[in-house]
Amino acid sequence: MKTDLKWHLRVNVKAAIARAYVRVVGTNREFSWIFFDTLLPLLGTAAYVYVYRAMDAPEEYVGFVLLGGAMTAYWMNVLWNMASNFYFERQGWNLELYFIAPISRMAILAGMAIGGMFMTTIRAGSLLVLGSMLFNVRFNVSSVPLVVLAFVLTLVALYGLGMLFSSLFLMYGREAWHTSNLLQEPVYLLSGFYFPVRALGFYIAIAASIIPLTLGMDAVRQLVFSHLHFSLFPVQVEIAGLGVLGAGLLYAAAVALDRMERAAKQEGRLTLRWQ
Amino acid sequence: MSQAIITEQLRREFRVDKEGKRRETFVALDGVNLEVNRGEIFGLLGPNGAGKTTLIKILSTLLSPTSGRAVVGGFDVTSDPYSVRRIINMVSGGEHSGYGILTVRENLWLFSQLYGIPNKIALERIDRLMDIVGLSDRARTKVHKLSTGQRQKMNFIRGFISDPEILFLDEPTLGLDVETSRVIRRYIREWVDDRPDRTVLLTTHYMAEADQLCDRLAIVNQGKILACDTPSALKRRVGQDSVLEIEISAQAGQLQPLAELSAQRGVRRVAISSNGGGTLTHRLSVIVDGDGAIPEVLQFLAQRGAIVTGFKKTEPTLEDVFLELVGRRLTGENGSQVASKG
Amino acid sequence: MAVGSRSAAECWRTFKLAAWLGWQMESNWADPFLFSIYSIVKPVSHSLILVVMYLVVRGQAAGGGLFAQMYVGNAFFLYVGQVLFGLTWVVIEDREFYQMFKYMYVSTPNIYWYLLGRSFAKMAIATVSVVIVLTFGRVFLRLPIHASTVDLTTFCFSMFFGMVSCIGMGIGLAGVMLVVARHGGHASEAVAGALFLLSGAVFPIDILPRLALYPAIALPTTYWLEGVRRGLLGSGMGQTMAVFSNRELIVVLAMLSLVYLILGTLTFVMCEKTAKARGLIDMHTHH
Repeated sequence: MKTDLKWHLRVNVKAAIARAYVRVVGTNREFSWIFFDTLLPLLGTAAYVYVYRAMDAPEEYVGFVLLGGAMTAYWMNVLWNMASNFYFERQGWNLELYFIAPISRMAILAGMAIGGMFMTTIRAGSLLVLGSMLFNVRFNVSSVPLVVLAFVLTLVALYGLGMLFSSLFLMYGREAWHTSNLLQEPVYLLSGFYFPVRALGFYIAIAASIIPLTLGMDAVRQLVFSHLHFSLFPVQVEIAGLGVLGAGLLYAAAVALDRMERAAKQEGRLTLRWQ
Repeated sequence: MSQAIITEQLRREFRVDKEGKRRETFVALDGVNLEVNRGEIFGLLGPNGAGKTTLIKILSTLLSPTSGRAVVGGFDVTSDPYSVRRIINMVSGGEHSGYGILTVRENLWLFSQLYGIPNKIALERIDRLMDIVGLSDRARTKVHKLSTGQRQKMNFIRGFISDPEILFLDEPTLGLDVETSRVIRRYIREWVDDRPDRTVLLTTHYMAEADQLCDRLAIVNQGKILACDTPSALKRRVGQDSVLEIEISAQAGQLQPLAELSAQRGVRRVAISSNGGGTLTHRLSVIVDGDGAIPEVLQFLAQRGAIVTGFKKTEPTLEDVFLELVGRRLTGENGSQVASKG
Repeated sequence: MAVGSRSAAECWRTFKLAAWLGWQMESNWADPFLFSIYSIVKPVSHSLILVVMYLVVRGQAAGGGLFAQMYVGNAFFLYVGQVLFGLTWVVIEDREFYQMFKYMYVSTPNIYWYLLGRSFAKMAIATVSVVIVLTFGRVFLRLPIHASTVDLTTFCFSMFFGMVSCIGMGIGLAGVMLVVARHGGHASEAVAGALFLLSGAVFPIDILPRLALYPAIALPTTYWLEGVRRGLLGSGMGQTMAVFSNRELIVVLAMLSLVYLILGTLTFVMCEKTAKARGLIDMHTHH
């Protein structure tokens, strides 16, 4: 029993590492991403900086935008390189090979998440550093450990949400794809990528807190712009909320993956290409 | 347990779209009972749509049966899929798995990690298998630059990399040249002979492959197993009979009356292969009870205005077994017509 | 002449067929009601981001002036995203997902018409989105768009040449997709992001640093968005563009559109040549 558990642990860790390796090596094999994923998004984010400047907004808002721009990279990664990845894996004949292997589906997704996070952190980090230099943003960090904690919990919850979405792709094809597409802009709006989420009104902001980015960005903004007052909840509450969200989403993802896989196998859609 | 695979009354239905919004039920597997022994290469022989791939998908835990039961390596595929996955692997001919941007060696390493194989062993195994199938010179080539055959070789290696107890090979030599197919068939045989607990379930269109490779065979058609035995025992079913391969020259309109040949005394089954319209050379496969029926067959053809341009009496093959059981050729050309007694 | 007309007929047939295919792929996954909701939620959310930003800083977001200029620029910029994404994603989707690009490439007499046709559905959806966003703005945010004050000539010419320039850029980017891996598939969004900044979609380009102002005035999208603002609202945004009369603005836009169409086509041809030389037309680069 103990050996079995050890074997399961080893095989799942190895599978996750291998999947993450593919993601990282695959991206780095073509350097076009440096231009398309780092420099160009910086310009896109800069547009919102100039919007605030055109409105004569306080300079601190520039920092909001940069942080939002950096988190956009993670949101895009979760939506398009993780949640929808089963769609492409099925098309590329790989999905069935993962599914006949003695590993948890969460291990494959964790591998994609780790690989994706690694590459996205480089992109988001460069955007933040370059943007801060370019627009002379001043951060007033109140607690580095809390920033790290809030950030890590945000990513755990966000990628948990990605895993939950990916279960849809076991069953559906373009329906799931368009659902991802549909979520892109509303989440930009509801999570307050470019403004403090409180501006949406207290009740809408609370409803939007189901999206991990909402609480995550609000917490990180509070911690790195500690001289401003715009919070939805105190940082400690938001961090606790992120912890609950992370655990809840990961659990929901595991259950949903299991159920969707079963349903897909019953309907014969698990290996059905060109859906 | 001496059986590697057992299926009991296995049935799989699919709902398929028809004209308009109507949906119909299509039965892919219809009460399949099968027992595959450990240590054997077991073949599933049947035409497209017979249900071979559906069966493999159920056994490899990718598809749930509508009813019935399937046990692989002693584990139920529905209630204990994880235990099944630990001991199986699968290769499908014509599949395009793998990541195009990675090299052959990287792709194979990735798939080895899904089975928890230590790096050193995995890489040694990859190099050895690449050597066997002649892919070593492409080890560091990105997969999207491989030819179809090279890609198929890579997939073949992937199936063996986890050293499974039970291996499902779905048309493994599809798209490969004659020499590579031969190498692969030899390797499959050696791999099974090497250890008594290794089992292969193979589907194929190629009669010669099935004949050469399989210890036992099941002939499948329309979701049903029509016969299951060793290739030689299956051939013995038509062994008392003679198989005549007759080439005739006849007008297309003369073909229909030729089907009446099956009503002649001593004739058990007739299949006519034609390439289509006009005066053409057609091929008749005729199973007769014994050599005594041959003159009557030739006389019948002459009376119907067909000119015999070629004649060969052959030993029964699996193709003839298929013809006997299903009533048509598995590898028939266009315009195949069949007539039989009863 | 006969050859010319046959070739034109073939191109038209390719375009029609590709447009039909594109529409099927865009729309046949959901029932019409769900599809309508989907078509409304995305663009309205996109516009509300700007509305809330304005609200945060100015306390209210409605009426004319800077708000209306931003709102209209933002609404019409939806075209840029859709056209660029439409044209580039066809290459990635057909090559990597459906694995049909090589067949389309060899079976269509002119691949440009195929790409245009496939992206036509996205252009149509973008048109619906823009209309929805403008209607929302007119009804709920009191945008000063009145039938009596709309300058239809400026608006229509701006739209025509604006679309030509977007297609030119999209063709060029589609060419780049021929030689890059699948992860380049979202490059169109990144390029659209850069154009969002440099074209002054939501702010006057006057506030850009001098270094960014040069590329800004060399982009047709800058003139296009200024043209649609003048056409619909009666006034443009910022001092830099104010030096042009409506007529001059259209002429500059027309010339730049032509230049970008030629540049885009040349880029496509060069990338196509490279893709063929390196055997990339049917590559699969999923990872």
